[in-house]
Amino acid sequence: MSAAQAGAVAARTLSAVVGGYALAYTATAFLSVYLPMSRPDRVSLASLACFIVWVAAIIYAFGAKSPWRAVWLPAALSVVLGVAAFLPATYGVRP
Amino acid sequence: MSLRQSMSGLHTWAGLLVSWILFVVLFSGTVAVFDKELTRWMIPQLHKLEQVKVGADPVRELIVERAPKAHGYWMHPPTERMPYWTAGWEPADFSEFQSFLVDAQSGEVLPKTVGGNFFLELHYELHGGLLGLYVVGVAGVFMLVALVSGVIVHRRIFKDFFTLRPKAARQRAWLDAHNVLGVLGLPFHLLMAYTGLAIFITFYMTAGIKVAYKSDMEHFFHDVQGAFEREELGKPAKATKSIDNMILKAREAWGDDSQVGWINIEHPADAAAMVQIRKAVDKGMVNDQRTVSFDSGTGALLHVQKPYKPGYKTYAWLTGLHMAQFGNDLLRVMYFVLGLVGCVMVFGGLQVWVSKREARGHRGVALVRTLNGAVCGGLPMASLGLLAASRLLPAELLQRTRWEATVFVVIWLLALVHALLRRGSRAMAREQFVALAALALLLPVLSLFGPEPGRVTTHFASGDWMMVGIDLGLLLIGGLCAFLGWRLGQERAAPVRERRARNEEYA
Repeated sequence: MSAAQAGAVAARTLSAVVGGYALAYTATAFLSVYLPMSRPDRVSLASLACFIVWVAAIIYAFGAKSPWRAVWLPAALSVVLGVAAFLPATYGVRP
Repeated sequence: MSLRQSMSGLHTWAGLLVSWILFVVLFSGTVAVFDKELTRWMIPQLHKLEQVKVGADPVRELIVERAPKAHGYWMHPPTERMPYWTAGWEPADFSEFQSFLVDAQSGEVLPKTVGGNFFLELHYELHGGLLGLYVVGVAGVFMLVALVSGVIVHRRIFKDFFTLRPKAARQRAWLDAHNVLGVLGLPFHLLMAYTGLAIFITFYMTAGIKVAYKSDMEHFFHDVQGAFEREELGKPAKATKSIDNMILKAREAWGDDSQVGWINIEHPADAAAMVQIRKAVDKGMVNDQRTVSFDSGTGALLHVQKPYKPGYKTYAWLTGLHMAQFGNDLLRVMYFVLGLVGCVMVFGGLQVWVSKREARGHRGVALVRTLNGAVCGGLPMASLGLLAASRLLPAELLQRTRWEATVFVVIWLLALVHALLRRGSRAMAREQFVALAALALLLPVLSLFGPEPGRVTTHFASGDWMMVGIDLGLLLIGGLCAFLGWRLGQERAAPVRERRARNEEYA
């Protein structure tokens, strides 16, 4: 394996593990805030769905055309979801 | 690189990395399907329950005797699958939960055993506490990834379903087995991996509780479960009213024929002492417990928990699907068989990895072979050894459960040493099969002796088919292992061509 190949595998692995969990985390937070249901249901359903997101992100990290894209797309998406979820401080805690 | 190629790489390496832990989780989970039956098998002193003569109040006395200052008392009345009282307490220093079993007819305390629960704890936390819980969680995610990438890799998923070529090259045969079992069990494996992760979701994913409950875990659980709590008053407790009467009132409050499950007594030494009675987990996939709370000193009904809300009901449904406490014994047999399918699929995948690289003299082959022997052979051996220990160790032995666990660990370590010495060779596999056969055949023999209520002849006479089934199953496993050991020996002795010709008969 050449150095470039090794770097690509490392980048994809990192994106799958860290980026993937970050995406699952922010997606759960986002859905826990914005799902149109009562608070316990929002949190329960959003949390239960989180592994679908993580597994999809892992598959994407290794399936994406370029290692660069495998890293930036999940990262950017988690930033967007994270900001949307954590910025409105009181909306999320509505009953 | 095409998607199929990259997924193939992911499947190979993610699969390999997690295989051994996954094998442990799958194997122990498969065995734990019959955890309650195994517990029963491991207590041969337990008489057949004709009639429940011991109520909740005498059982409470037994707990108080052992732990007058405990933080909380727990007990579970006898059920069809657990025909004895389970009793225990949370020590005042919040250390490990202590428990013992009581014969529901004679009121005698039964000998201690780790029971089938040993496999259950191995399944979800590898006996490693919180760290083990997270390791199993990561293994679960790997399993999902291996399943999804495996489906993408598998071009001819339908056609291969009908393909098994046992007489083809060894590599091809293992690949076929891996594929057939992977496809056959796919819905079950996907479901079990996902629902297994769902059980401990609040450990693995805290984002929702963080953002919507400001990280207040207790508030969340209070919301979803509708639990009822009472603060301590700091005054000594009044004399306790009868729990058996409270059980009658709880069943009235439920208004159906539900059986009683876990009963607990909260802060028993305080004036705020409270008895809480739950439904048993025996019907339907969702058990929302419907906890009924009573004041321990006056017997007054304080609160009846409402059914779960949709979100948490979904959670309860998913976890219920995983834990297989609903339905009947036939359903559990199917869970068991599909679990075994999963174990063989994982092992088959490892064999494919090895055989693909053997000819090329890949560096990792010896290591993988050795680990295969140590884990996939060692764990079943250690498990059978544990069952034997539970039947052979004296009933009055001090720290009996610790000795049982020690036997399990020592046998597994011996298997590791053996695999290292034999470098995971075919000779190792043969010797493992011989050892497995000897252990598995020893157990039904042990069932012929020992305390009368636990003998296979007693079970046969009283028509206790689950218990007879365990002994028959062990006999079957022993026979199969003996046959496989014999065959591996034959293969080495006979020239290749002749072997093929003779095996036609079995094909």
